[in-house]
Amino acid sequence: MTRKTWFSLCLFFLLNGMSSFAAENEREPYDDRYCTSCHGTDGRGNEAVQAPRLAGMEPWYLQRQLENFRAGIRGAHPRDIEGIAMRAMAVKLSNRSIADIIEWVGSWETGPAEITIVGDASVGEILYGTCAACHGSNAEGNEAIAAPALAGQNDWYLITQLRNFMAGYRGTHPQDRYGAQMRTMVNGLGDVTGIIDVVSYINTLSGNQGSSRLIQN
Amino acid sequence: MSKLVSRREFLNLLAATGGTAAALKAGAALGLLPGGATAATLDLLNLGASNRKVTILGSGLSGLTVAYELGKYGYDCTILEASHRCGGRIFTVRHGDLIDEIGNRQYCEFDDEPHMYFNAGAARIPSIHRNVLAYCKELGVELEVFINENKTSYVQDDNLLGGKAIRNIDYTTNMRGFMAELLAKSLTIEEMNAPFTVREAETLLGMIRSFGDLGEDDLYRGSFRAGYAAGGFLNHGVQKDMIAFRDLLKSQAGRGLMSANEGDTGPILLQAVGGMDKLIQGFTNHVGDRVKYRARVASVHVRDDGVEVAYDQDGVRHLIKADYCFNCIPTHIMTGIEHNFPADYVTAMKYVRRGTAYKAAFQAKERFWEQEDIYGGITWMNNPSQQIWYPSHGIHKAKGIVLASYDYGDGSYHTKMTQRARIEAHLKDGEKVHPNYRNLLEKPITIAWHRMNHMLGCSARWTRSRGGWTHDEEQMYHHLQSPVNGRHYFIGDQISMHSAWQESAVMSAQWALAHLDRRVRAELA
Ligand SMILES: Cc1cc2nc3c(=O)[nH]c(=O)nc-3n(C[C@H](O)[C@H](O)[C@H](O)COP(=O)(O)OP(=O)(O)OC[C@H]3O[C@@H](n4cnc5c(N)ncnc54)[C@H](O)[C@@H]3O)c2cc1C
Ligand code: HEC
Ligand code: HEC
Repeated sequence: MTRKTWFSLCLFFLLNGMSSFAAENEREPYDDRYCTSCHGTDGRGNEAVQAPRLAGMEPWYLQRQLENFRAGIRGAHPRDIEGIAMRAMAVKLSNRSIADIIEWVGSWETGPAEITIVGDASVGEILYGTCAACHGSNAEGNEAIAAPALAGQNDWYLITQLRNFMAGYRGTHPQDRYGAQMRTMVNGLGDVTGIIDVVSYINTLSGNQGSSRLIQN
Repeated sequence: MSKLVSRREFLNLLAATGGTAAALKAGAALGLLPGGATAATLDLLNLGASNRKVTILGSGLSGLTVAYELGKYGYDCTILEASHRCGGRIFTVRHGDLIDEIGNRQYCEFDDEPHMYFNAGAARIPSIHRNVLAYCKELGVELEVFINENKTSYVQDDNLLGGKAIRNIDYTTNMRGFMAELLAKSLTIEEMNAPFTVREAETLLGMIRSFGDLGEDDLYRGSFRAGYAAGGFLNHGVQKDMIAFRDLLKSQAGRGLMSANEGDTGPILLQAVGGMDKLIQGFTNHVGDRVKYRARVASVHVRDDGVEVAYDQDGVRHLIKADYCFNCIPTHIMTGIEHNFPADYVTAMKYVRRGTAYKAAFQAKERFWEQEDIYGGITWMNNPSQQIWYPSHGIHKAKGIVLASYDYGDGSYHTKMTQRARIEAHLKDGEKVHPNYRNLLEKPITIAWHRMNHMLGCSARWTRSRGGWTHDEEQMYHHLQSPVNGRHYFIGDQISMHSAWQESAVMSAQWALAHLDRRVRAELA
């Protein structure tokens, strides 16, 4: 944890009067910082809970997603199980809280994500040609086009999202302008194999690390 | 019925029985079922002048067991607990308590009285869970009987008799009668004689008749066992009408009902007087000063000479080093925490799935069930709320806490709803049983374990096939049970083949303690 985090955390707890010494029967002060319960230590992502990496996320993208979840533009489709879990959290967030959380998330540092899938990265490279226009040739994202970075994100999560776009769990809400844009792009991937291949290629851009823990999909 | 049970089928049944006996023995050998007659007695080496530091991650029952036991033998333990409270899934909710469900924080508003509590997690202790019971005794936790089966409670199914709630006893008496008649009629005495001696066959037939209350002619014509339609004390009792077999078969209720009081939930069950967390208090009376609350583990690194654990508390990241570490943090949370566990460990951690159990409860303004001859027990409903539990305690007091829903298998149905929608769903479901339900209930609480902070699940689900444990699953389980570097132990009911029971949490801790003891003895020898 950086010094900035320590400081911002201390300040936060001071402001909220929260302390680990609070008497047992006193009411726990409310705060919205539940994120790491699901998203893991310093928002590193937790596959078992299907909650992706937040560390390193662009503040503008983070804000839009939180607002979209809160408004039901994302996470409201009855089959979007994981999105629904996230939405339950988002509906509680005030604008002030979102601002606080964006700053908090900004203080997290993180290393490369673990590679958990195996696909054909060379096929993926070709498929990624179309994606680069918006997400950048290094998958670094492009704020002007509102397309987030994909590099550094958990590969299993990118797969869920591409599947969700394909199935219409994401990007079909009438107000989901950016999601709709993205949804038109997934058709070029064909099917799940295409999805796995393109994400395997994104892994090579991420500096994500292979490991002996590889799980075959 | 178009088809009678053939003799071959009957013999298959017999063969299956032999199989069960064999499985029981095998189970005991594997340590799945209690084999001996007594609780485990841990006789660990007292450290004396030597010093050993232990960090315990999570104050679940298993973590507290470790702290309590090691405390007796001179170990220096620290418990890191992310939550504001101890006990994890042993959670008794009372007046003023926080239910820390993510996105649905609630404070309980029940009346502030000793009997007005709700066991949102563990609620029942089977009499055969002798290690838990031994701790209850040792720690002075008072126990009373928990009523699981109640013949006067109801069965309600929209498909059964137009949705009218009927008493459990009406359902089961008639069902047993018909089942017995079927059995008795489908086997001639000669057929029965083939696998049995004459005496055995007669004994069997006698039991079948008695099971179903059949007449001399082996026909079922209703039974007084279901109670009287009228009279019965000062006048002759009038027998209730039979419910037609066809009608009973319109409902699946029997599938759950006929097994609800078998196995771990078979009689006798016990509960802690005043709430299940009295067991947790029993432990914290001894080791409470060892607990750091609101201390969330952020990383675990196993080194050659010990274990380093980082945790966040009051906005600061602390580091704590110890010789050994016992970890009852749910594996699906641990996968999101930084660690340097070996690959086979991680594979196993990722394999285990998390359950979605869900419970809800209300305060009842009056104990309306007692006016319907109900004292404790469970009403079974064929709707998403599934169960209504009437409290086993506080009999004849003014008010009580009723469980309005318990979905152990798939609580995601209610989990996905808003608090308001959940409450409305339970009122609507319960109204089918108790017409005035809505007006008699107040102060609802709901607990979706899948969303509970620092838990995110109700219990580990190791197996994925109906056939039970596969070889691979067993191997993964054994990997996760064995310590990393002899220093980091996973514990909790997740490290058992019988998850979702306190007994398993305690036994996992005892297993790890015995294992540690062997190592320490060797070190100090
Ligand atoms: C709905 C339900 C009904 C049940 N019914 C029964 C029953 O009737 N009878 C019965 O015997 N058993 C029952 N059980 C099972 C029983 O409650 C559990 O088996 C037992 O309590 C598990 O104990 P444990 O030691 O595994 O720890 P848990 O209770 O799982 O505790 C884990 C602890 O780790 C803490 N933690 C999590 N993350 C962190 C972190 N990052 N840092 C520090 N600490 C952390 C948690 O806050 C928690 O305190 C039921 C469970 C549920 C959910
Ligand atoms: C109950 C668990 C849970 C909690 C608590 C939680 N999240 Fe999530 N979050 C998820 C899950 C699961 C997903 C994945 C949803 C999906 O697959 O679409 C997610 C997705 C997200 C996304 C979308 C990421 C992307 O790349 O589009 C953001 C942003 C996010 N969460 C932020 C937060 C923040 C900030 C908090 C704390 C205020 C938080 N989450 C708390 C479970 C949770
Ligand atoms: C026309 C521009 C455009 C193109 C081309 C494009 N995307 Fe996107 N993509 C977006 C936008 C905009 C979003 C953000 C959607 C939102 O805000 O909900 C997005 C989101 C995503 C996400 C979700 C990220 C997250 O964190 O949840 C993934 C994964 C993704 N894109 C992958 C791809 C892939 C793979 C391709 C190529 C096949 C591709 N995109 C092509 C614009 C584009």
